[in-house]
Order: sequence, then C-alpha cells, then structure tokens
Amino acid sequence: MERIVGIDLGTTNSLIAVVEQDSPRVIPDLQTGDALLPSVVAFFADGRIAVGQEAKALLAEQPLTTIQSVKRFMGLGMEHVSAEDRRRYRFADDQGIVRFALHDRQLTPPEVSALILRALRERAEAYLKEPIQKVVITVPAYFNDSQRQATKDAGRLAGLEVVRLLNEPTAASLAYGLDKKEEGLIAVYDFGGGTFDISLLRLHTGIFEVLATNGDTRLGGDDIDQRIADRFLLTGMSETLQHDPHIASRARRVAEEAKRALSSEQETRLELTLPEKDIHITRTLTRREMEEAIEDIIARTLAPCRQALKDAGLEPRDIEAVVMVGGSTRMPLVRQRVGEFFARTPLTDLNPDEVVVLGAAVQADTLSGRRKDMLLLDVVPLSLGIETMGGVMSRLLERNTTIPTSVKEMFTTAVDDQTAVDIHVLQGERELAQDCRSLARFKIPIEPLPAGVPRVEVTFMIDANGILSVTATDLRTKRERSVEVKPSYGLTDEEVERLLEESIDFAEEDVTRRLLIEARTEADTVLHATEKQLRQHAALLVEGEEARILSAVKTLQEAKSGEDYNLIRDLIDAVTDVTTPFAQRIMDTSIGEALGGKELSEI
Amino acid sequence: MSPVDTVRCWRCAYEHQVGFFCPSCHAMQLLPAQADYFSVLDIPRNPAVDEAALMQRYYELSRRLHPDLYQTGTAEEKEASLKNAALLNRAYRVLRDVVQRGQYWLELQGEQLGKENNRVPPALAALVFTVQEKLAEVREARADGKAEESKAELSEIRADLENQMKQLRTALIDNLGQWNGDGHVAELRQKLKRLLSEIAYLRTLLRDVEKESDTLWNA
Repeated sequence: MERIVGIDLGTTNSLIAVVEQDSPRVIPDLQTGDALLPSVVAFFADGRIAVGQEAKALLAEQPLTTIQSVKRFMGLGMEHVSAEDRRRYRFADDQGIVRFALHDRQLTPPEVSALILRALRERAEAYLKEPIQKVVITVPAYFNDSQRQATKDAGRLAGLEVVRLLNEPTAASLAYGLDKKEEGLIAVYDFGGGTFDISLLRLHTGIFEVLATNGDTRLGGDDIDQRIADRFLLTGMSETLQHDPHIASRARRVAEEAKRALSSEQETRLELTLPEKDIHITRTLTRREMEEAIEDIIARTLAPCRQALKDAGLEPRDIEAVVMVGGSTRMPLVRQRVGEFFARTPLTDLNPDEVVVLGAAVQADTLSGRRKDMLLLDVVPLSLGIETMGGVMSRLLERNTTIPTSVKEMFTTAVDDQTAVDIHVLQGERELAQDCRSLARFKIPIEPLPAGVPRVEVTFMIDANGILSVTATDLRTKRERSVEVKPSYGLTDEEVERLLEESIDFAEEDVTRRLLIEARTEADTVLHATEKQLRQHAALLVEGEEARILSAVKTLQEAKSGEDYNLIRDLIDAVTDVTTPFAQRIMDTSIGEALGGKELSEI
Repeated sequence: MSPVDTVRCWRCAYEHQVGFFCPSCHAMQLLPAQADYFSVLDIPRNPAVDEAALMQRYYELSRRLHPDLYQTGTAEEKEASLKNAALLNRAYRVLRDVVQRGQYWLELQGEQLGKENNRVPPALAALVFTVQEKLAEVREARADGKAEESKAELSEIRADLENQMKQLRTALIDNLGQWNGDGHVAELRQKLKRLLSEIAYLRTLLRDVEKESDTLWNA
C-alpha cells in the first residue's frame, strides 16, 4: 500500500507527519531537528529561493521580497487584498488574480505555497528514504471553494497528488480522539496565525461526525501582532514612517515576540531600534495592557462559536470537552474567554502546533487503506446555491450538510421564449447573489417556450473532498451541461499545466533527487544483505574473497553519502558482481541442507 | 415518489429488498436515487422514529460504505460508494429532524406541501400581527438611536416565539407517533399539515426577529 503523508500548510508554520507503527509522528528537519517549518519564502535577485527559518530571518532585511502568511491570499482576487497588504507587498496587477511581484518574477499564492510544500516533501523524503507522492493537506474548515482549489493547485505545482483536503479542526479532533480515547460532544477551537475555526463534533465508536462548523478565514494571530505593533510601536510616528515596509515588518516581529513572552510573563520589553530612520523605541508592555488592546479581536471568535452551537442545536453546556488548537490558543486571555464561554476549562495538553498535522497523518493512513477503525463524517462549511430571479441566492445545500451529498432542484424561466438559462453558482450565507461568493457561471441551452414552462433540473454533487460539481439538464430536450466548479480567482487547468512546464528546472531537480533517494535505498538493502551473508556464512568464503567484498562495500558506503546517483548505481552493481559467486554457494548449501533430511520422492 | 420494493444483485442476481448490500453475496449495491429514506436506512416505514436507533443505524452504514474506505478500490466501487453515501447522508438529514421527517412523510402520502406555507396560518394570525408591529417599532427606535431600550422587548418576543416553536414541535412528534394506519388517518394528515405549516411560518418569523436582534446587538 502506497504511503500517504499528512501536511499542515499553516499561515505561520507548516508541518509534515506520517503514521509509523500505528501512531502518527511529526517528521523533523534532519539537520536542525525542528518540527515547524516557518511558512515564509524569500526570493533573491539572482533567482535563488529560501524557505523556512532562513527566509524568516530575512523578513526585516528584505520585507518586500519575503512572503509571509501567503495562506491569507489563497483563492483571493486583488479586490479582496487590504490596503495594509498592498503596502506590505508589491503586486503585479491592481485587479484580477493576485500575483506577487518578486524581482523579475511574478508568482501567484499557490506557486509560493508550492515552494513550502516542496520543502516539506524534501524533509519527509530525507527522513523516510522513499519518494513521497500522495498527501493529505489540511485547510481551515471555513475555507471556501476557491481557497480549497488554490490549495489543491499548490499541491499539484509541488508535484504532489492531493488525495484529500481535510478540515483543520476535524484533523485535530482525530488526533485528540485517538489520543484520549474519549467519546461524546466536543468543540475544537482552532485559532491560528491567520484563520479562526470552530467545529463541533460527536465522537462515537470510532466515528467522528462533524455537527457544525463556523469561522473567519481572516482572523488570527497576525491581527494580534498588527494591533500590538500599531498600538504600542507605530503610534506617534508620521504616516510615512508607519507605512514604511521595513519599519512595519520590524514592528510586527517585535510585537510577535512580545506577545509570545506575555503568554508566560506578566510584562516584557518592547524594543524597536532603527538608527538609520532615527527610531529608538523602548518601553515596557504589561500583559494587562496588551490584553486590553486585543480584547475585541478575541471577542470576534465567539460569534462563530455561538452560530455553530445554534446550527447544531446545542447549548454551550452540552459540550463535554473543548480542544484548543493553533498557536494563538497559547495566550492566557484566549483560554480564559473560551473557558468562560463554554463554562469549562479548555484542554491544552496537546501541542497546539502539532495536533492538526498528526490528525492529517491519521486520515492519510485511513485513505491509504491501512486503517479501518475510524471514519470521519465532515460537512460543507458554507451554503451553496444558484442565482434566481431578482439576484436572489436560492440555496440548494445548507451549510453543515454532511458530505458526500447531492441535491436536485427544478427551475424554470421567467421570460417567454428564453433560449438559454444562465446557471450562476454561489456560495455563502447572504440573501443576495451579489453578497455571496461567485463560484462559476455557465449557460444551458433550452427549447424556447412560454415563461414557466421549461423545466431545468439542477443537480449539485459534493464529493468527500468538499469539491462541488454542478449539472443542469433541460428535461424536455434532455440536453445536459455540467461543470466541475473552478474558482473565479483560481488558476485554470491550462495555467497549472503551463506553470508545471515552466517549473521544469524544478522538475529536473525533483527527478534527480528522487533517483538519488532510490539509489540510496537500494544501496542500503544491498549493503545490509551482504553484511548479513558475511556474518552468517563466513565458512563459505574462498581465499581473498572477503577482502574483495569488503573493499567493494566500503566504496559503496562512501559513495552513498554523496549526491551522484549514477555512481551509487554503478557501485551497487560492483558489489553485486563481487558477491555473486559467494551468494551462489550460500544458495547451493541451503538447498542441500533443506533436502538433506528428505527422501528423493518428496521433491 | 413511489417506493421501489425489490431489486436484483448486480453480481449474483439474487432478488432482494432495496438495501446497500446484497443479503446473499454481500456485494455493495448502487441504490436507486429515488429509494425511500426509510428503506435507505433500513428502518420501519413509520414517521415515529427512534432517534438513538436511527443514529446507530446511520453510523453502521457509514462505516461500511463511506468513500474514504474505497480510496484504493475500483472505479465502480468508488462511484457506488460516493453515490450511496450521498443518498445515505441525505436520508439521515431528513429523518433525524422531526420537521423535515414530517414533511417527507406527507410527501410520501402524496401530499403537495410548500404552496400553502406562504399563507399565514389562521392560528398564528394574531401573533404574526403583534410581532410584525413590535419589530417595526424596534426598527424605528433603532433609527432614532434608542436601540438600548428595545433590547429587552426583542428578547421577550424571541423567547416567546421559541417557546411556541417548542410546543409545536412537541405536538408534531406526538401526532407522528399516532400514525398507525388505522381509521383516522385523514384527520391526522390534516393535523400534520397544519402543524408543519405553522412551524414553517413561525420559523420565518423567528428568523426576522433574530436578524433584528443581531443588528441591534452589533449596533
């Protein structure tokens, strides 16, 4: 069975995990031992790219060409990009698809995310010593269709097959449920770097049924950092200085560090020194001051909690456990407010950074067919429908419907002799089409008839990934049109293909790396077998043979740590050649031994 | 929506009651999309449903036919499990909720619902009138910047409507439980229709009140 790994592609940090001996574990960087890979990508003028810790260190130095929190841009159009973000980065266009301008390149958010995914993949391949192809990637439960598609695109661009997009709080519940072996109603409060999700689940005999989910895809620790920076560091500066990307970037960094410190300390020092800009700020920040400044951001997480409870028909007291996920839940004020809301102490003993990726690895294990004792029943986070007369959103599927699901509804015309019906697919909770997210638009030709006579059947089908496909049929002519919904701001299939071709350099690099991993793995197998034979059958060696074998083994061992896979392959052959007569003798002897006690007739 | 009774197994041709698995060879069957929800969940065809047993049944079936368990299967298996799971989820969603179940039951009895729900049910006329009037007052007060004073009143209306809703639901459960196919079916059917129409109307009203509450509290 092919191995599938789990990936948490986070706003702030990303992780990769795998199930080994039935339990999920995070794969660390082999050199540094770090589990977290900062979701930061730095681009250099010479075309070089740095990902992770190295890139993070460059944030203050080259803020315009170091992309941080790229997840917040996934699946968005330029009109969704805030003024603050427009100052923070350079974009290629003012409208339409988001493209970061990075030196002489222009990259979309999925392309930047793909670089993070590549780094994770390399880490996993180095650790597992085998190529990785299939992955489960987690997304915020409240991600809409465009954001999900963008995440899938990122996977493809990294040369990965995304077998499942898994909702983050659901993933967390898997890790929690398997770790604690508890059953009942639980809430997963997932407050990360850039997104907030709340999910309510029923855990029952290995089934994880999501009852309701809600959230805010633009609310997270980043907002808290920004608030601290604005309130305590940038205040009092001229507008020009406030909007200077270098200063803003440094201020956010200082704010983030202070926020972390205040999770355990009562007060900390804020220090922002930029001599060249004549900025020297040092002051004390108490936990209390900070909490007053960010209180409203935390309060904003409670409205989605209320809505989710209402959708599930539950009261806060019905919830038997509250699982805290995401780095922002380390803040004492967050824990306090959540505790007050649910009237119970939230569980904080699982590592909030790792619980999502561990759950992703567990689900990956199920999808690979290895695990059969658990099952996730997830839901669509947002209602889906089509636009009808007067620009009204007509809902076909309510939010929190369990997936997979399908629904059919009949529509007709409002005008005589219409020759086509426009199917405009929408996602969201608002009454008017214009306030909902437009997912797709297509026409179906119909027979011209008086208004109200034609019958057009619209079918929505949502698969286990939460991806929607829509079919419309004119029941009179049986003419049918269907689309797999592609997001308005995503990449088209052609674009993804083109980008894949363009990244051919990467691809070559990938192939090389893959061949190297395979060669090393094979070398290990051969070396291991040879060593075992030498140990067990030393008596069968002929004069000088052992020295010849050991010499070939030594050369192979040396080559194995190098990068030349051709050399490794040649040396594997050399070892095989020199050991073949010896292996032959072992074989003959064992057959002889096996036959030794038997009558001839038995063969 | 006429119920489909028996089908033949695609693999062993055994004729059996509609169900996800062939009783003879255990092969997964692609259920007809129009299969009735009671047979989908393999529970008695009766509108009074034991909800705990329904959940158990739903979990059992999910555990056997969810697409996650067929990821490594053939294209046919994947397709069948996707469609079956979609049907199972839809059936469970309808049957577990007493209002949706009641509507579905009447539809199975050949009743056309929906059209009449737009008219104000006579029993609610007075209530609807009072609530609409109060809502208008609250909106006016909000426009005049006197939002605070309306909050208590709105909460009261809301609690009252929620209470009414609870009573209607209880009455609905009660009446569904009386369905046993004997003499007074026609009478019961009218009663159910009236209750469902009142619930539908009350729900719209409640939504209006909630929307106003949200606006008020966020102001």
